[in-house]
Amino acid sequence: MATTGASDGASAAKKEGLVTLMSGDGEIFEVEAAAVAALSVTIRHAIEEGFGDRPIPLPIVGARALALAVEYCRKHHSLGGGAGEDSAAYDDELRAFDHNLAKVDRDTLFDLIEAANYLEIEGLLNLMCRTVAEMMKGKSVEELRRTFDVSNDYTPEEEEEVRREVSWALD
Amino acid sequence: MEGAAVLSQLVGRIQELWEMYGSYYALDHLDPRCYRLDFEKGLIEDDCCGVLLGGKSQLLKTAETDESAPCKRHRIEKGGEKAIVSASPETMEQKIWKELPEELLEAVIARLPIATFFRFRSVCKKWNSLLTSTSFAKSYSEVPRSYPWLITVTYNMESRGAMYDPSLRKWHYPSIPFLPISYVICPVASAGGLICFADMRQKCFYICNPLTGSFRKLPPGPVPVQPQLAVGMTLNGTTSTGGYKVLCVAYNRDYGVFDSLNNSWTWLGAVPPSIKLPIAMSFMSQAISIGGAIYFMRAEADGILSYHVNNGSWKQFIIPLPQNLKDHALAEFEGRLMLVGLLSKKAATCVCLWELQKMTLLWKEVDRMPNVWCLQLFGKHVRMACLGNRGILFLSLKLWWTDRLGTFNISSLVTYDMSSKEWQKVPDCSQWVACGTEFYPCPSALV
Repeated sequence: MATTGASDGASAAKKEGLVTLMSGDGEIFEVEAAAVAALSVTIRHAIEEGFGDRPIPLPIVGARALALAVEYCRKHHSLGGGAGEDSAAYDDELRAFDHNLAKVDRDTLFDLIEAANYLEIEGLLNLMCRTVAEMMKGKSVEELRRTFDVSNDYTPEEEEEVRREVSWALD
Repeated sequence: MEGAAVLSQLVGRIQELWEMYGSYYALDHLDPRCYRLDFEKGLIEDDCCGVLLGGKSQLLKTAETDESAPCKRHRIEKGGEKAIVSASPETMEQKIWKELPEELLEAVIARLPIATFFRFRSVCKKWNSLLTSTSFAKSYSEVPRSYPWLITVTYNMESRGAMYDPSLRKWHYPSIPFLPISYVICPVASAGGLICFADMRQKCFYICNPLTGSFRKLPPGPVPVQPQLAVGMTLNGTTSTGGYKVLCVAYNRDYGVFDSLNNSWTWLGAVPPSIKLPIAMSFMSQAISIGGAIYFMRAEADGILSYHVNNGSWKQFIIPLPQNLKDHALAEFEGRLMLVGLLSKKAATCVCLWELQKMTLLWKEVDRMPNVWCLQLFGKHVRMACLGNRGILFLSLKLWWTDRLGTFNISSLVTYDMSSKEWQKVPDCSQWVACGTEFYPCPSALV
């Protein structure tokens, strides 16, 4: 992804088409600017604002999640040109990549959702949210209350009322 | 000429209504053997996509067995690679999820199957309030949903609403508050998750979001609500929040538009004399709406009429129909006009699909029902109603024939996904479904 940049005093990193990212826990990543900028709105804006020649700080993104997010951008940029799932470019290889990425452990999944949201990588956010939705959909209401640590704040009458309203969805 | 066409349509309508109200009784007298005949079997055998229905209980079971042994939360150390564990349902049993920011929780919930979202409304008041939250409505609208649902009203001692979700291949039975018990009122049009029901006895329209049961009875309009009415519905913007319009055209050429924003009808007089009627007024060929334009099928000469709700202009296009066609209906796929119908030649009948060629104004065949299915129609009388005509076709088929063992009658509902070109048989449906419409379910759609 190296480009021959104009010798206008820009740093070596910029000349090579690289951009430096710094995770919240201080790890430094040198990545292809084109790939991450194509998929991450946040990084694109940072580069546009002149962060291209110094590390872009990403305070709430951990190194592990950042590495995976960058990998996602690379893969989708090189294989799909950043195209969405409906596009023809979204081929079997990308589908397999996404499928494997969705199998990360729960903590990474949680961190990836936050990272995708912060970095504004729409496809990754969609993938991760869908993965969590997939986990949730078979749960009972009681299980969800435990999982999300929310208490039932309905009176029995109110709960009955809501249940009646949604009865079509219960069978 | 026009008078004769109207008369023949009226006869057609009476037949349809008879079938709708009367056929269930007729079905009761049939020998149960007839449900086991080849046509049905053929469809079932062909249908190799038995998805998801069994999955739910499996997930629940896994979660239950795992509850007693909660997994230890283990973070992967920085730089520790390849420690990727397969995510399984039990991984939800982790308190980390309560730390999920609200906007992300909404984004996740927006991706749940619609029925699941409704079930989860009873988790707590906050989750319930998502139904009316504008930020959730926005999250929901950002999730692409390719599957429209079918809504119909069935009658078996009493009438009840039924919705079919083709992505999960599941029927739901919503409570539709205004549904009369003793007779059927028909869903005739939809837009933005809202359904327009026509009540021929009370002579009125209702607009309803079947997911929430919220509804509005429309004030009396300038055009009497009767079977010989063509109805179209369109949104002002991209969602129902911006309001919607209902167009009604009567057989005497009078037409009017209901505007939800001022809750009133505007009588627009008669359709201009340059526009040739009649519209093929039938539930079997519903109007479709593309942008602000509502398209109807026209008979004699065959073609299409369009009415643009924004500038009030009518247009007509003469488009010859393929030969030997019957029970045809307009359809829409990604903004393109399609035609679906039964093509019969001697004893052979097949369901075919055509796309309108904009340059030549001709119908070009693009697909037809698999041969093995068409074979089941061979030599039989076939009727078809197209109940859903956007993105997915919902085709209600009825076959009957007489042989030395007696007279037989089979009904089935078939879907055709215009995007994947897949044909499927709708499960748990052996009644003739005479009326219905397709809609894109939207929890936040406001009547």
